[in-house]
Amino acid sequence: MIASAREVLAKVWAGGTGRIGLVLVFVILFVAAFAPWLVTHEPNKLDVLHRFADPSFEHLMGTDQIGRDFFSRIVVGTRLAVGVALAVILASLTMGTLLGIAAAYAGRQAERVILILFDIITSFPSLVLALAMVAMLGPSLVNVVIVVTITFIPHFGRVARAQTLALKSAPFLEAERVLGASPVRLVLVHVVPNIMGPLVVLASMDVPVVITIEAGLSFLGVGVRPPLASWGTLLYDGYQHLSQSVWPVIFAGLTLSAATLGFTLFGEALRDAVDPKLRSRAA
Amino acid sequence: MIARELSEAPHRAPSERELIMARFTRRSVLAGSTALAGLAASGLPALGQARDRAVVRVARDIQNLDPAFRIGPIEGNVMRAVYQRLASFKAGSLDYENDAAAELKQVNDQLIEFRLKDGLTFQGGYGDVTAEDVKFSFERFNSATNKDGKKSSYASDWGALDKVEVTGKTTGKIHLKRPAPALFRITICDGSGAIVSQKAFDKLGDQVATQAIGSGVYTMAEWRANDRLVLKANPDYKGPKPSLSEITIKPVSDFKTAELAFRTNEIQFTEADSGSADGLAKVADSKIIQLDGMRYVWIGMNTEKKPLDNVKVRQAIRLAIDVDSAVAAAYNGKAKRANTMIQPSLLGHWKDAPVYKRDIAQAKRLLAEAGYPNGFKISLAVLNTAAFRTIAQVAQASLAEAGIDCRLDIQEAGTYFSLGRGDAGKNLELSLQQFSAKMDPSFTSQWFVSSQVGVWNWQRWANAEFDKLHEMVDSTIDPAKRAAGMVRMQQLMDESAAYVWLTYDTSLFATKSWLNPGILPNGTDWQYEHFKSV
Repeated sequence: MIASAREVLAKVWAGGTGRIGLVLVFVILFVAAFAPWLVTHEPNKLDVLHRFADPSFEHLMGTDQIGRDFFSRIVVGTRLAVGVALAVILASLTMGTLLGIAAAYAGRQAERVILILFDIITSFPSLVLALAMVAMLGPSLVNVVIVVTITFIPHFGRVARAQTLALKSAPFLEAERVLGASPVRLVLVHVVPNIMGPLVVLASMDVPVVITIEAGLSFLGVGVRPPLASWGTLLYDGYQHLSQSVWPVIFAGLTLSAATLGFTLFGEALRDAVDPKLRSRAA
Repeated sequence: MIARELSEAPHRAPSERELIMARFTRRSVLAGSTALAGLAASGLPALGQARDRAVVRVARDIQNLDPAFRIGPIEGNVMRAVYQRLASFKAGSLDYENDAAAELKQVNDQLIEFRLKDGLTFQGGYGDVTAEDVKFSFERFNSATNKDGKKSSYASDWGALDKVEVTGKTTGKIHLKRPAPALFRITICDGSGAIVSQKAFDKLGDQVATQAIGSGVYTMAEWRANDRLVLKANPDYKGPKPSLSEITIKPVSDFKTAELAFRTNEIQFTEADSGSADGLAKVADSKIIQLDGMRYVWIGMNTEKKPLDNVKVRQAIRLAIDVDSAVAAAYNGKAKRANTMIQPSLLGHWKDAPVYKRDIAQAKRLLAEAGYPNGFKISLAVLNTAAFRTIAQVAQASLAEAGIDCRLDIQEAGTYFSLGRGDAGKNLELSLQQFSAKMDPSFTSQWFVSSQVGVWNWQRWANAEFDKLHEMVDSTIDPAKRAAGMVRMQQLMDESAAYVWLTYDTSLFATKSWLNPGILPNGTDWQYEHFKSV
């Protein structure tokens, strides 16, 4: 049985790691949402004379190799990371769920085609597949979102299919069908709400993976283009100038670590709160 | 003649530049780490501690030791140590002195006479060095093909050669088809002047790519691909013994890995980047050597592509880009600004070249006059190195202030160097480029003639007067006339506004205090034969 959102959050907050995760996720989402008001400087404004400045009241995290305020770039980078993660999760969740339900309800041939498609996509490691696709499409923010979305569709599709198959023969659905409910109504009103719990948990646990892939692609130079600030490009530029200043690498690394840690802890706590059986399985 | 030379020349430029590209690719981080691990495991630290031996880091592996088919300066540096030439550069200088030649005389513009020193012998029992070997060594540049059937990439070095006439066992005459003012500095003293053993080439065949049989200061004692090449003092060398008995050349592509290896004394000499130089200077028993660079860096504009086909647009871009900030940020204040193509140390430098100060208001006015009052979108192709990324980002921000939305197209070396080639080059817009210079200005100007459009002239700028002047400079002995021609060529480039000159870069080297390296003023040509233990 799926608990209400309030109950779930209470359960997440009750656990030590869940609380840490929730706080980190809240901070990251807050920064992402209010980034334009939180930046202390124009993130792309150059000040070459003050490049590699140490952290100070003027520049909370110092400046980068061309004198841009690093705190402001981290803040807009947070917005970009969260934006990419949400866009990817939302798109892949939607498409994966629809394909998963379609596979469960469609005939055997269609199901086989969909499952083969999922197998093909999942047979490649996400990052390798993303790298290959970005190499074909060219590096850009939109392409990063498209590519990572494609790699995540099977993830949600398989769970949606399994959940739908389990639900398909439930008595209340049979009753609805006898009463004359259309297939579309059955899916939208009864199936989707009943399979969303595990999918949302899965989505929350995939957020740090998406953030890492986006940062990884940007670090490798095939992600977002300058002057957009991605945590990956900030980390890479910092690495390139490590001997001049360690602060960019430290702050970009810490931010990326905090985000992945926060979403991971939150996702695990959410999983335990939504379905205690999963916790016992994980244990 | 000139056209033939130029058509063969492009193969050289990418090779020279490969050294630069190898700096900061991400894959090179992994490769470099592996190399460092191998270095540590190889027991070489012990070598590094002896003061008559040194381990020197190069940016990539050596690929071909046949002088006619060498890839770039990394091989050239080995060749100058292993092979003798008729004349060679003095330590760290563009002045030259006799090497294998006892006498070397320029009789007139098209004739050079030589007499070899007595008793010079090739290593490995390949006999005496003779005038026949000189003839074979020089003439093969215009006739030899490699196993793929390709002619020498360095054929243009001997493009002016008519024939070498052998007049005795150790005497001969070099006949030229036309005057070749750069012959000594570009050819005779460099790898293309290497005297190889005809017997060795006949016997070894294709193996000459991996076995260097010379009569020079060092012999090639060992070469393990991707690991090391070891030079040992040649016991049969007739000149003064070198200061170092052994030099190990290690390929380590990543600067950061090389920096770590230098800090731990795994290597004793490496080129350094501007970011790490200050840190390396503080390493115990170490010093940094800085030379004015001879790698010219600029942003080129494709003069055939809209809207860059409009000279006012190009002038606006030139005024919008903050050159001083770009150079200061990319090279940490260690490189000077360039205002024209030819370096101050070379013949034909245009010392009165205009210094364009940033003027956004004027740039906007020019854009409005050109019909682009609201700016436009454009792309800037950039090779993926830390310095170039920095320059590109400064340029991007500068152009944005003038209303130009510049997208950075950052490419790895594998794709970057094909961007301006053939028809693909027609779509190129802005490109950040860097070429290496040699000791003669005609080497620099050859890439900008009209026959290079679609090859290395990525600006696709063609000017008949420029072409004519280049031909004159390339075949005239009179220095004053050559200098005047070079200045006029740079003025024509300035009028085209197709070039935003940025810098000549800087050459930085980290070396142990006990080691005095031999480095020619261009920074890329090293003289292992002049490395000294002090």
